[in-house]
Amino acid sequence: MSERPLSGTRVLDLSNQISGPYCTKMLADFGAEVIKIERPGIGDPARMTGPFRDDNPDPEGGGLFLYLNTNKKSITLDLESTAGINIVKELIPQVDAVIENFSPRVMSGLGLDYATLKKLNPGLVMTSISPFGQTGPYRDYSATDLTIWGLSGILYELGEADREPLKMGANVSEYVAGLYGCLVTLAALYHRDETGTGQHIDLSSLEAFHTMQPSMTLVFSYAGFIRKRSGIHFPWGILPCEDGYIGFYLPTQSHWELLCTLLEMPELRDKPEYETPMMREERRDEITALIVSWLRGKRMEAVFHAAQELRLPLTIVPNVRQVLELEQHKERGFFAEIDHPVAGRLTYAGAPFKLAETPWQAGRAPLLGEHNEEIYCQRLSRTNDDLSRMAEQGVI
Amino acid sequence: MADLPLQGIRVVDTCIYWAGPMATALLADLGAEVIKIESIQRIDYLRLLGGWPTPDGYEWSSVFNGANRNKFGITLNLNDQRGKDIFKDLVRVGDIVTENFSPRVMENWGLTYDALKEINPRLIMLSMPGFGTTGPLRNYVTFGPNVEMVSGMPTISGYPGGEPMMTGYMADPAAGLMGAVAVMTALQYRRRTGKGQHIDLSQMEAITTFMGGPIMDYVMNERFQPRRGNRHPFLAPHGVYRCKGDDEWVTITISSDDEWSAFCAAVGSPDWTREARFSDNQSRHENHDALDMLIGQWTSQYDRREIMGILQQAGVAASPVLSYGDVLDDPQLQHRGFFQTVTRPVTGTHPYPGFPAKFSETP
Repeated sequence: MSERPLSGTRVLDLSNQISGPYCTKMLADFGAEVIKIERPGIGDPARMTGPFRDDNPDPEGGGLFLYLNTNKKSITLDLESTAGINIVKELIPQVDAVIENFSPRVMSGLGLDYATLKKLNPGLVMTSISPFGQTGPYRDYSATDLTIWGLSGILYELGEADREPLKMGANVSEYVAGLYGCLVTLAALYHRDETGTGQHIDLSSLEAFHTMQPSMTLVFSYAGFIRKRSGIHFPWGILPCEDGYIGFYLPTQSHWELLCTLLEMPELRDKPEYETPMMREERRDEITALIVSWLRGKRMEAVFHAAQELRLPLTIVPNVRQVLELEQHKERGFFAEIDHPVAGRLTYAGAPFKLAETPWQAGRAPLLGEHNEEIYCQRLSRTNDDLSRMAEQGVI
Repeated sequence: MADLPLQGIRVVDTCIYWAGPMATALLADLGAEVIKIESIQRIDYLRLLGGWPTPDGYEWSSVFNGANRNKFGITLNLNDQRGKDIFKDLVRVGDIVTENFSPRVMENWGLTYDALKEINPRLIMLSMPGFGTTGPLRNYVTFGPNVEMVSGMPTISGYPGGEPMMTGYMADPAAGLMGAVAVMTALQYRRRTGKGQHIDLSQMEAITTFMGGPIMDYVMNERFQPRRGNRHPFLAPHGVYRCKGDDEWVTITISSDDEWSAFCAAVGSPDWTREARFSDNQSRHENHDALDMLIGQWTSQYDRREIMGILQQAGVAASPVLSYGDVLDDPQLQHRGFFQTVTRPVTGTHPYPGFPAKFSETP
């Protein structure tokens, strides 16, 4: 296997579900060794989240788990037992970073707070991802993706004026928190390499998600302006055509003029009631109706290429199948085929960026406890008899 | 003050608009010195977007001012040979070059990675056009909204039975975040091997990596996840409910039967909470419409923050749906000092969103 950007970095991963696992997936996919600790017999609850092939639940066949845990090693360990905690402490001196996304009190409750772990490994970097952070009045509150959307300010302005605010269908806040987790861990590792000092990082998913729209609080502060829900916020929009959907964006006056050219209605350019962006926003229903009637009977690919020929930022709005079939993705080899002993060969979203010298490498998710022997026997000098006994006691 | 993690790293930043500038804003937050290059001939157009209260002037764009924090701003005309020479001088003393133009732009200026590497062999360069630097669509025009459109996310988002929806802005900062991560991986490699490299980041690919579950569902079952509003594929209840007041809402999500029991007790165990059709997660999911109506009747009698308090005390995830004005007053964000007061010329003193993580040693 060729050298990868994070080769040599070792990470102990105590996280579950999406945010932490996406963070450690990034680290593992770029070459770090990630040892994922899972609960004996059950594992990361994401294993049972699906989607499953033919909807048959199987802890080794959950699509989300398979995707979020590529290139990791799995060991089982009961963190509620003293023996389990002692094993974590034995592993700490052998790793560079610990990633966890428990509720804030859990790690200290287990006796695994940063101050304790740092004594075992002074250079240790520990990243804690939690919904609201390790401090403050909400720190013990529960949250899901939707909870975070609500508090971020983002949910309030999405959706129709007379209906409930609406979130996007993907768990964006969790992916964003995971990516920030990756960024801060790498920054802290860089700092440790420069100075020898490890540190604890307290990452708040709410704060992370808020930075996905960091300007509207400023707009409020500058001008007291709050955008209300209004369906589509012109100058962008998604509209139906013959075989799918088209999306457009008109950031400048010249883009509006290009749209008039595309619609073969140059006269719109000179209409006084469409002269400025503000006026067009007010009349967005009229303009949208014009585009919709022009799109009727037209195919998405044809419209896409015709618009781009004019340098108009208009794109297709593909469904998941159309995403998988995009020529651009094929040409760049974005999707990867990965084999798995239980789930078989599946197509996965691949590298989020391409490093010229150190290509991303596909790898599969581990079976539950697949690396017990490798880690416990080779790294911690346990014997196979020890493993059997630990399994009997439910420690692993 | 302790050194920040990226102290000593210098970024020569030609990024404009939003995604690229977000990447370098994050590197600046982490302590890198970011030298942002604009030209008088062609300013960063983001300065002209999002300009409230006045659409005029270069300094009022909230988006620009937020995304270019902690940077040094210089003007330099890269169409002029003298401008290029100065740029190369900067590259010589820099660690990282960032750009998010269409792939042709840097090529036309002769400022490709191969050319710049001659000047600085340890150079890392991040290129982050919408569709990447290769492939048949590489020269297509895209902005953040377009990147979101082609990610597949809008077609799984929207009211049930309605049209696809989008945020219109999320792709830019998310791709910027990915850009910052990409730079960190390359820095780690350089620290170990001494070698710089070029990073080719397609914003479309970066955002598509958020689509793990829905992509798998299609790959495994050829199934398209439906637009299901705020609902969860199988957990219930999961939604946004109207509260007392004008356009005030609360989110409530219940992830287990235990949480459902806690919820029932917290709302005072009215008769409907004991109905068989809501007795387990599956039956609640099947009767989600009826359940939403009953929950809505309860929430409509209370203030959204009151509901958050009642339910969170019982261990149930709930949150008020805050407007951006309300976000500034949120006690959690205030406690953590998330918004930082910054004084800028022209615009004056305002709270700016900070960095979402606290470092114990390098705050």
